[in-house]
Amino acid sequence: MEILTSILLIFLIGAIITYFIDGISRKITGITAFIFSLIGAVVFFAKVQSGDTLKFQLGGIDLQWGLNDYSYYFVYIILGLGVLALLYSIKYMEGKARLGYFYGSFLLTLLGMLGVVISQDFVSLFIFWEIMTWASFLLIIYNAYYKVKTKGIKYMIFSAIGAYAMLTAIVFIKEHYGTFIISEAIEKGAFNFEQYIYIPVFLLLGFGIKAAVMPFHVWAPAAYSKSPMSFTTVFSGAMSKMGVFGIGLVFTSFYLNANPENFYWVKLILGWLGGITAVMGTIYALIQVDAKKLLAYSSIAQLGYIVVGLSTGTKLGVMAALYLAVLHAIFKGALFMVAGAVERQAGTTDMTKVSGLIRKMPWTFFVALISIIALAGIPPIGGFVGKWLLYEALITESNNYILVIVIFFSSTAAFLYSYRFLFGLFLGQEEKETENVKEAPVTMLIPMLILGVLALVTGSYPGLVFEPAAKAMQAIGFTDVSWQMSSLTNIWGNTTNLFLISMLIFAVFIIAFIFLTLKGLKKTRYVGTKEISTSGELPKEWENFTFQHDFFKPFERAAAPLYRMNMNKIWKDLGKNLEAFFGFFRKLYTGNGQTYALYVVIFLVLLLLFKDVIFS
Amino acid sequence: MNEIIIKIGGAFLTAILAFTVGMFYAGLRRKITARVQNRVGPPIYQNFLDLLKLQSKSTNVAHGFMGHMAPIWIIIAAMTVLMFIPVLQNNLWFDNLTLKGDLIFLLYMMVFGSLGMALGAGQTGNPNSAIGVTRGLSQMVGFEIPFVMALVALMLQFKTTSIADLMHFQSSTGHWIILENPFAFLAALLSSLGMFRYSPFDIVGAPAELASGPMSEFGGKYLGTMMTGGAVFAFIKLVLFVDLFLGGAGNNSVEGIVGTGLGLLELLIKTFLFYMIPVFIGLVSPRFRTEQAIQFFWKWPSFFGLIAIGWALYKNGALG
Amino acid sequence: MSKTNNIGIPTVEEIKQAQIDFSPRCTSAGRVNDKETQKMVDYILNFARKHSLFVLAYGTGCGAIEIPATMTSRYDAERFGIRGAATPRQADILLITGYLSTKTLKRVIRVYEQMQDPKYVIAFGSCTINGGMYFDSYNTIKALDRYLPVDVYIAGCMPRPESVIRGFVKLQELIQKGNAGNGECYRENLEWYRENQQKVIKNWDFPENYNW
Repeated sequence: MEILTSILLIFLIGAIITYFIDGISRKITGITAFIFSLIGAVVFFAKVQSGDTLKFQLGGIDLQWGLNDYSYYFVYIILGLGVLALLYSIKYMEGKARLGYFYGSFLLTLLGMLGVVISQDFVSLFIFWEIMTWASFLLIIYNAYYKVKTKGIKYMIFSAIGAYAMLTAIVFIKEHYGTFIISEAIEKGAFNFEQYIYIPVFLLLGFGIKAAVMPFHVWAPAAYSKSPMSFTTVFSGAMSKMGVFGIGLVFTSFYLNANPENFYWVKLILGWLGGITAVMGTIYALIQVDAKKLLAYSSIAQLGYIVVGLSTGTKLGVMAALYLAVLHAIFKGALFMVAGAVERQAGTTDMTKVSGLIRKMPWTFFVALISIIALAGIPPIGGFVGKWLLYEALITESNNYILVIVIFFSSTAAFLYSYRFLFGLFLGQEEKETENVKEAPVTMLIPMLILGVLALVTGSYPGLVFEPAAKAMQAIGFTDVSWQMSSLTNIWGNTTNLFLISMLIFAVFIIAFIFLTLKGLKKTRYVGTKEISTSGELPKEWENFTFQHDFFKPFERAAAPLYRMNMNKIWKDLGKNLEAFFGFFRKLYTGNGQTYALYVVIFLVLLLLFKDVIFS
Repeated sequence: MNEIIIKIGGAFLTAILAFTVGMFYAGLRRKITARVQNRVGPPIYQNFLDLLKLQSKSTNVAHGFMGHMAPIWIIIAAMTVLMFIPVLQNNLWFDNLTLKGDLIFLLYMMVFGSLGMALGAGQTGNPNSAIGVTRGLSQMVGFEIPFVMALVALMLQFKTTSIADLMHFQSSTGHWIILENPFAFLAALLSSLGMFRYSPFDIVGAPAELASGPMSEFGGKYLGTMMTGGAVFAFIKLVLFVDLFLGGAGNNSVEGIVGTGLGLLELLIKTFLFYMIPVFIGLVSPRFRTEQAIQFFWKWPSFFGLIAIGWALYKNGALG
Repeated sequence: MSKTNNIGIPTVEEIKQAQIDFSPRCTSAGRVNDKETQKMVDYILNFARKHSLFVLAYGTGCGAIEIPATMTSRYDAERFGIRGAATPRQADILLITGYLSTKTLKRVIRVYEQMQDPKYVIAFGSCTINGGMYFDSYNTIKALDRYLPVDVYIAGCMPRPESVIRGFVKLQELIQKGNAGNGECYRENLEWYRENQQKVIKNWDFPENYNW
C-alpha cells in the first residue's frame, strides 16, 4: 500500500526540511522535527495494519515492504520512543550549534529503523540498515566535532564488519536459493544451519554486533555515553532492538521446528555468549564513575538477557526476550533522559562532582527511582515480570542450569550499580557547586513521566505487553501462545498473581505510611545533609563528606579474576597485529617503476609455467 | 464474604505471630549470648521494651523523603514476603496467599526492603551509611549465589517452584528434603549465615567499625520500625528454611484450635533449633572483611551448591 | 576568679556580692512532677524507657575506663537493658565521664543537641561537680550543670562499677517517677545556657538557630 511509502517520505522530507529550517530560525528546529515525527507516528498507527504488503520492482529486483505481527511489535518501540525522545530533545538541545544537522540525522535514523522493520526482502533490509548506521554515526560524532577518530571510529568499524558479513550472506542466499524475499528464504530452509551454515552465522554476526553481544560489544560504551542523551535514548532503546529483531528473524525456522536437534550447538553458544555479556556488562558497570558510561554498560548487560531469552527457543523464553525488549526500551530510555536532564541542569554527570540532587530535582528523582527498580527487577514494577519469565524459562524448559546461576549472579550484581546510579547523582552529600540547580523544564519531564508511568502499569498488568508479544511470537513460528492479564504461569503450573501483589503492597504502604507519619508529626526537626553525626564536630565549609570514589572497592578486590578479561585490550592487540601484517603488504607498493616491471614479468612467467593447470 | 474476612483475619494473625515470635527470638538471642559469656543478660522480652521506648521518643529528626520511606519499605517487604510463605500447612487461618506466588518472586521481594533502607541511608548524607550499604550489597552478591544454587537444585528435583508443593511432597512422603538433597541443605545453611548478618558476616552494621553503618542516622520511630522489620525478617527466613528443608509444620490430623496450636508449637521448635546454628556460630566467630566474606561464599558453599544441582539431576534421571 | 583566695573558686560572699546566679536551671533532683498521679500510659512508657537505655559510646574523660568494666561479664549492665549506641541519633544517655576540657565541651554540646528527647545526662566523677582534681586548671570546666542539664551525679574519682550501676538505678527511679529528661527545659532556657557556654568556649562557631 502506498501508505507505507508516504510514511517513509514524511520522515525523509521532515529530515530535509529540518536541516534547512535551522538556517532560517534556530528556535523552531526542534519543534519542527517533533511535529514531523508525531505526524508520521499518528499516520502510522491510524492507517497501517499488520499484514499490509507492498510489492514493487526496482532495477529488476523484486522488493517487498510490509508488516506482520512480529514487525509491528517493534514499531511500537521505535515510534513510541522516537516521538518521546524528540519531545525531550526540544529543550535538551536548546542553544546548541548545528541543530539542523542533529535533527536531520535523528529523523533519518528513525527512517532507517522503520525501514528495517517494514522490509520483507533482504535488499531493502540492507539499504535501510546502512541508512540507520550512517545516520547514527553522524549523531555519535556530533559532540566530538574535531575528534572523530577517537570517538566514532570503533562503531564504524564494527558496523562495517557486520554490514559486509550481512551482504555476503544476502548474496549467497540469492545464489543458493534464488530469492531475496525473507519469507521465501525461510521456507526454503536458508536458516536451518544444515547446509551453508555460514549464511545464518554471518547474518547473526551482523545483527549481533548491533545488539552488542560479546565479544563485539566494545563499541557500545563509548558510543552510548558520548552521543547526546536524547539520541542515546533512541540509540540504546530502539536501535539495539533492531539487532534483536534480526536475531529473532534468523531463528524463525528454529522456532518452527518441534525437535530442533541441529540447533543444539547454536542454542548453547548463543546462550553462553549472552550470559557472558550479561556478567561482563554488569561488573564493568559497577566500577564506573560517569553515570552515562554506567548506563551504557548496563545496556550491554540487559541485551545479554534478551539474547539468552531468544536462544532458549521455548515459548516462555522468547516471550521473556520480547517482553524485556519493550521494557528495556522503557526504563533505559527513561534513565538516559534522566542522565540528560542532570547533565543539562547541573553541567556534568560525573558522579564525583555532582551529588545530592534529590531536593532540587524531585520529579527527575522519582522517574529515576521507578526506572531503577524496574531495571533491578524488583516487584511490583514491570522489570520483575521479564526476569521471572526468563528464570522460569531457563529452569523449567531448557537444560542449561549453570546459565541460570550466571544470569542470577549478573542480576544480583545489577543491584549494586542500580544503587550506585541513584546514590551517585541524587543522594549523598549536597555539594556547594550544585546549589543553584533547578528542576528540569516541563517538556523534558513529560516524556520521562510517561515512561515511568508505563513501567509502573506493566508491573500489575503485564498483559498489556503480552498481547502484542504473543501475536509477534505466533508470526515467527510458535503456535498457541497463552497469556494472562495479571498473572504469570509456567509450564509446571506455578502461578504468580501480580495484581494481588500490587494491591497488597499498596495496602501495606498506606497503613505503614499513615502510622509512621502521624506519629510525632508536630515535633519533627528537618535536618539537611550537613547535620550528620560527625563525632560532635561542626563540619566546616571546606570539609567534604562525599563518598563517591572507589565505591565498590571490596567487590572489585573479591572479583579481581573476573576483571582481568578485558575485551578492549584483545581487540586493540588484534588491530595492532593486523596493522603489522598489512604493513608488510604495503611494502609491495614501492613506487619504483622498475619493481613494477619486475612484478609484471614474474606474473607472466608464472602464467606460462602453469598454463596447463589454469587454462585446462 | 466469609472467605475474605478469614483471609484478612488470617493475614493479621500471621503478622502478629511473626512480630511476636521475631522479637522474642531476638531477645532469646541476647539472653543466650549473655549466658555463653557467663553473665545474666537482659530479659527475653527486652526487645519489646526497646521498641516501645523508641516509638515513644517525643521529638523526631527527619532527613527527607527517602529517609521516611526506608522503614516503610522494610515493613512492606516483610509483610509481603510473609503473606506468600505458608506458615502452617493446610491451615484455614494461616494460609494467606500461598498459592499465588513462588520462590523466584520471594527471592526478589526480599531485596525490596534492603533497597529501601539503602536509599534512606543514602539520603542522610553520612558517608558511614553509604559505606555500610555498599558492603551489605556486595555481601549480598556473595551469599545469594549458593542460595540460588540450592533453590535451583530443589526446583529441578521436584519439578516445582512453589513452596506449598515442596511442603506437600514432604508431608505426603514423610521424608524431609534435608535427607533427599543434603547438599542443597548445606549450601542453603551456609548462605543463611550471610543472610542473618551475624558474625562472621556482620561487618555491615558493626557499631565499632562503621558507626553502625546504614542505621547510623536513624533514631526514634525510624529505628524502632527498622528493628521490628529486621526481627520479622529473621522469623520469615527461619520459616522459609524450615518449610523448604525440615518438613514445614502444621500437618497433623487434629482439628480446630488444638491442631493449630500443635502446629504452631512444632513450628516454634523447628525454627528455634534452626536459629541456634547461626547464633552459635556468630557467638564464637570474629568478623570477616568484605572481600573475604564474598570469596568465602564463592568457594565451599558454591561447591556444595553445584554438587546439589548434580545430585538433583542424578535423582531425576536426567544424568542417567 | 576569686579575689580573696588563691584557689580560683569564688567564695559564697563574693557570689552574693556579685549577685551572680549560679544555680542550675534544669535539674532532676527534687523536681516535682506536676501531674499528681500518672496515667496508665505514662506508667507503661516510663517502664519501657527505664528498662531500655541506650548509652552513647563516647568516653569524654578518664572516668571512661570504668565503663567497659561495667558493661562486661562481671558487672553486667545489660541485665538492666543498658546497651551501647553508636551515634547520638540512636542514644538516650550521654555519659560525661570525668573532666571536660573546653575543647571537649564544644563537641559534647553539639552531641547533646543532636540527641532526641527524652534524653538524660549522667555526670561521673567529682570533676563534674566542682572541678575535682583539676579545680585550678585553666582548661577544664568546673561545674557541669552550668553548661548542660544533668540528671544524676555519681561521685567518686573514679566511681567503681557498683557505683555506676547505683547511678543507673537512680536514673531509673527518676524516669519511673517522670522526673528525668531535661531536653525541653534546655530548649526553654537556651539563652542562659548559651551565655555560660560562650563564656568558656573561645572559638564559638555554632550556627544561629538551634535545629539539630
